[in-house]
Amino acid sequence: MGEGRQSPNWVLLSLMLAAVAAWLSLDAVSVAPNRIVPGTSHMALGVMAGWPAVLLALPMLAVVVLAWKPGRKELRLSLVAVVTLLALLPLWLSAATTVLVEPDMPQARVAIGRSLWLVLFLLLLATIELRTRLGLSRPLGWLLLVPMVSSWWLSLALWLEPLALLREYQARSDQFVSALLAHLILVGAAVGASLVLASLLALAMRRHAGIRRTGFAVLNFLQTIPSLALFGLLLAPLAWLGSRLDWLAAFGVSGIGWAPAFLALLGYSLLPMVRNIHVALEEVEPAVIESARGMGMSRRQVFLQVRLPLALPVVLEGIRITTVQAIGLTAVAALIGAGGLGTFIFQGLGQAAMDMVLLGALPIIVLALVADALFGSLSERLRPGGAA
Amino acid sequence: MNRQTAVAVPGMPVASLRRWLAPLAWLSLLLLLTAGMTHLEWLFRLIEPDTRQVIYRRAGFFTLLAQHVLVVGAASLLAVTLGVGAAVAVTRTAGRDFLPMVSQLASIGQTFPPVAVLALAVPALGFGTLPIIVALLLYGLLPIVRNTLAGIDGIDPEVREAARGMGMTAGQILRQVELPLAAPVILAGIRTSVTINIATAALGATVGASNLGDPIISGIVNGNTAYIVQGALLIGLLALCVDSTFDRMQRRPDA
Repeated sequence: MGEGRQSPNWVLLSLMLAAVAAWLSLDAVSVAPNRIVPGTSHMALGVMAGWPAVLLALPMLAVVVLAWKPGRKELRLSLVAVVTLLALLPLWLSAATTVLVEPDMPQARVAIGRSLWLVLFLLLLATIELRTRLGLSRPLGWLLLVPMVSSWWLSLALWLEPLALLREYQARSDQFVSALLAHLILVGAAVGASLVLASLLALAMRRHAGIRRTGFAVLNFLQTIPSLALFGLLLAPLAWLGSRLDWLAAFGVSGIGWAPAFLALLGYSLLPMVRNIHVALEEVEPAVIESARGMGMSRRQVFLQVRLPLALPVVLEGIRITTVQAIGLTAVAALIGAGGLGTFIFQGLGQAAMDMVLLGALPIIVLALVADALFGSLSERLRPGGAA
Repeated sequence: MNRQTAVAVPGMPVASLRRWLAPLAWLSLLLLLTAGMTHLEWLFRLIEPDTRQVIYRRAGFFTLLAQHVLVVGAASLLAVTLGVGAAVAVTRTAGRDFLPMVSQLASIGQTFPPVAVLALAVPALGFGTLPIIVALLLYGLLPIVRNTLAGIDGIDPEVREAARGMGMTAGQILRQVELPLAAPVILAGIRTSVTINIATAALGATVGASNLGDPIISGIVNGNTAYIVQGALLIGLLALCVDSTFDRMQRRPDA
């Protein structure tokens, strides 16, 4: 757009102004001598006489100035500044940790404060905005995160040992890995099974209007039962089945554990999946099918070579919605003993140990965002005439 | 589209009453069950023959229902105000720049699992009702923002042009042309948002917000299926009640 040259980029401008304000006015880190005692908060300006904080605020202000006349060159410079800032934040936290944690506090815990979270979030939004304005492709957008991720990784490995989140992780790293695996397996199994079942259902629905009507009615009804209740309602019948049928019990089916969680996840995943597959197969233009027929393709060829490839992006969209939803629901499944990352959330809430809650909640959010981005870009790529 | 709005059929009392029959029926069933749950002990006894107590009694069902409605209502009101407000703002010429950012933010909001948001909101807001309102607000924004954007975007530019030609100001065009024309689509978004949130609000019971999720959590913890059924039944009826109300609101009287 030509008008972009004269008028300021208000989005970038307000994002960075908000970042500067948050950075200089809210607490950035808090230090506690051990796990039980509440920590004392420090503002970024209060650490090391404040000069590192000011040093970080300068590039933010520079982006504000650049956003005033956003030509292509200015936007590129802003992107460099934002990516650098994202990589500098963990280094600042490392420096602050080294200064604030005294050597005689071996149990000390450092927690990330509000301003650091906010600045991180605002800078990531600025990255998204700049990526769209500059028309960079999605893979390139992912590359922009590499400096930040490697900087965090480096800091965590070398200097951030007192970080509360890291301490919480180190105290139960085995448990964390197995919870993460359990979470992924449960989500994968539920989404995979629902994809197969939903495909069969959608195909049957295409044949018979009756199945379509009752099918959608049942699935819609299932969706109105709260997830919490569905998990709970499956407890008793499965416990009964597990106690009656030995082969099921040998398979691990019982009232609590993976079985009710898997069934509930499957139930919830079916509606979005069936809906998308159904819509995807229906929406292929009749003219396209007609011309494929006219070219002498058989029914099977039309389905496999025309209908399916054209429907694939919409089906992937269904997989995306289902996966993101299942990642969140699996967290709830921890309540019925299905394991997964939700275990940390509910244990942490029970003990009022917020770092432990974070240990469960943060990976869940990251998983959901990654799944969303992954399937989103995949479906965009497969769309006819989509991004190459 | 233009002509449909011009035809304003005066509502006939009998027909309009029949129109609201389904929501009213669900509502009376909901209230009846809420009031009479304690009289159904024999029924729940069938589900849990061996348990001493089969009716959830830690709080009255009316209190739980009221608190559930209050939480969902507050979150939905906030979501509608914020969502429609933001979507309207970014479709004005002055706010156009923010359009991609706002739709991106709304979709990120729905990607965040409500449980995670709920858990993260606790340190900032404490245990109780506030965290669940925040989680529901964030989760419910996307359908409203997306539908409002789609509704305003879908209006024929010629309609807007004609309104401007008639000498309407920008505010008048928004209030008298754009919002009424986009209303059905916006309403559909609000419906999705509210219905999802009625079910999701039950999660609030895990952080100490007392609502219809309470019997469910208590049932899971104590292995009492009767409690779970009581909570789920009332939540399901509430959802049906609200959903059918929206359904009738979306259908025009002349359709």
